[in-house]
Amino acid sequence: MSEQPLLEITDLRVTFDLEGRRLTAVDGAQFSVARNETAVLAGESGSGKTITALAISRLLPPNAAISSGSIRFNGHDILRMSQEELTGMRGKEIAYIFQEPVSFLNPVFTIGDQIAETIVLHQRVAPQQARRQAAQLLEQVRIPDPQRVLASYPHQLSGGMNQRAFIAMSLACQPRLLVADEPTTSLDVTIEREILDLLMELKKSLGFSLLFITHNLAIARKISDRVIIMFQGKVVDQGATDTVFRCPRHHHTRELIQAYEKIGKL
Amino acid sequence: MMKRNPYLKIGLTIIGLLMLITLFAPWLRSADPAQIDAAQLLMPPSSAHPFGTDQLGRDLLTRIIYGARISLSIGFIAMGIAVAVGILLGSLAGFYGRLVDTLIMRCADVMLCFPTFFLILAVVAFLEPSIFNIMAIIGLTSWMGPARLIRGEILSLKEREFIQAERALGASDARIILRHLVPNALGPVLVNATLGISAAILLETGLSFLGLGVQPPVPSWGNILIEAKSTLGVAWWIMIFPGLAILVTILGFNFIAEGLKKIIG
Repeated sequence: MSEQPLLEITDLRVTFDLEGRRLTAVDGAQFSVARNETAVLAGESGSGKTITALAISRLLPPNAAISSGSIRFNGHDILRMSQEELTGMRGKEIAYIFQEPVSFLNPVFTIGDQIAETIVLHQRVAPQQARRQAAQLLEQVRIPDPQRVLASYPHQLSGGMNQRAFIAMSLACQPRLLVADEPTTSLDVTIEREILDLLMELKKSLGFSLLFITHNLAIARKISDRVIIMFQGKVVDQGATDTVFRCPRHHHTRELIQAYEKIGKL
Repeated sequence: MMKRNPYLKIGLTIIGLLMLITLFAPWLRSADPAQIDAAQLLMPPSSAHPFGTDQLGRDLLTRIIYGARISLSIGFIAMGIAVAVGILLGSLAGFYGRLVDTLIMRCADVMLCFPTFFLILAVVAFLEPSIFNIMAIIGLTSWMGPARLIRGEILSLKEREFIQAERALGASDARIILRHLVPNALGPVLVNATLGISAAILLETGLSFLGLGVQPPVPSWGNILIEAKSTLGVAWWIMIFPGLAILVTILGFNFIAEGLKKIIG
């Protein structure tokens, strides 16, 4: 592999300042995501997955800081970017989808307004043009009745619908990397499956890299090219999905896999 | 929204009617509000002058209608200024926190320490008492309430997930504040602003009554009342009708505020 990876994180350390006490949430994480690859970042709650994901476009809460390491994205050093460069990149180059779609959408605007706004944010298009694009995007995420959904407020739609709408919004500007932070955890299994299928299909047709965060090893195994296992802030295991599942190197990976085998989910 | 909300219905009816009346004032009463008629001094209510006339023979109904124009526009514009300043300062304080917050909110606290009326009196003493000055002064001394409300709302709203999502989509601070935080925080401010309009109208009335507000011959409810004071013994109507106008207007705005409070929760 001579090609440079799209995202390369080296020795990332994120510390929280809890009123004088310092807490290391991510401790020397190191991994990369190649172009068009699906990488899954897996691990139990509190292992630092989400914080790592937020650090990628410097979206950490104000009391957290990246204390060392480097994040390179598409040849740029993210830690050296100015605030304007960052806002220009967020949503356009790196987009996110989150766990609870309803609470990540603004309650006082319609889905259509929010998608159109994202388009206008990064592209020079007229509002009506943005509106048409929003309708196309909703069709792309297979929402059956785009016009109705465009005019709906988030609270009028189901969780699955909202997540589809949010995916449409995140993909509005054709990002190179989509970071999905447990996007299906709050949905029921049938919807979860639909959303996963949709993501995989969109990835194929639009060609972005996917960094998928989950605590669910069954999903990890199903969708990923590569898995990265985090435990207590450290990356303890990573590699091609099959290899990691067949011969896990770290005892925590083995524990996780065994736990899943016991309840018969793998 | 209007169902089972009698407060809002009554309030909107009163204020709606009042606005229609002020809008069509020249068609409703063809007389000039400053028209002096020496033959008609202090006439009690009659069919020609339903509210009677004052000591210069001017038609009181006409003066009250034109006074409503002044009072309502002062109420709305002063509150508009107060809400605009309040939203700006309150959202900056709430969003940026720390030093910005401390500076802005301590300023607000200092201003709240002064009784508003005396603060305004002190300022008016230095300025021309023109209608625009009165609007500006009332507006610039009433922004603290809206600012505190907005700040409080934004403090909790900015921690909500959709704000994080907006950041992740590449929205700038200004965009997050204006497009996402302020619209979500407007509810309580709307109630406050409606009450503020009636407070501003009362302030104007008070100032005019003391002779520091709208200057005669321009009619305002406050300065009609000063004239009423000297003729109270012989002409009750000059006191009663402007007083009723003020009462009904304030009631109307307070009803709207009460109704909005029920809707917003």
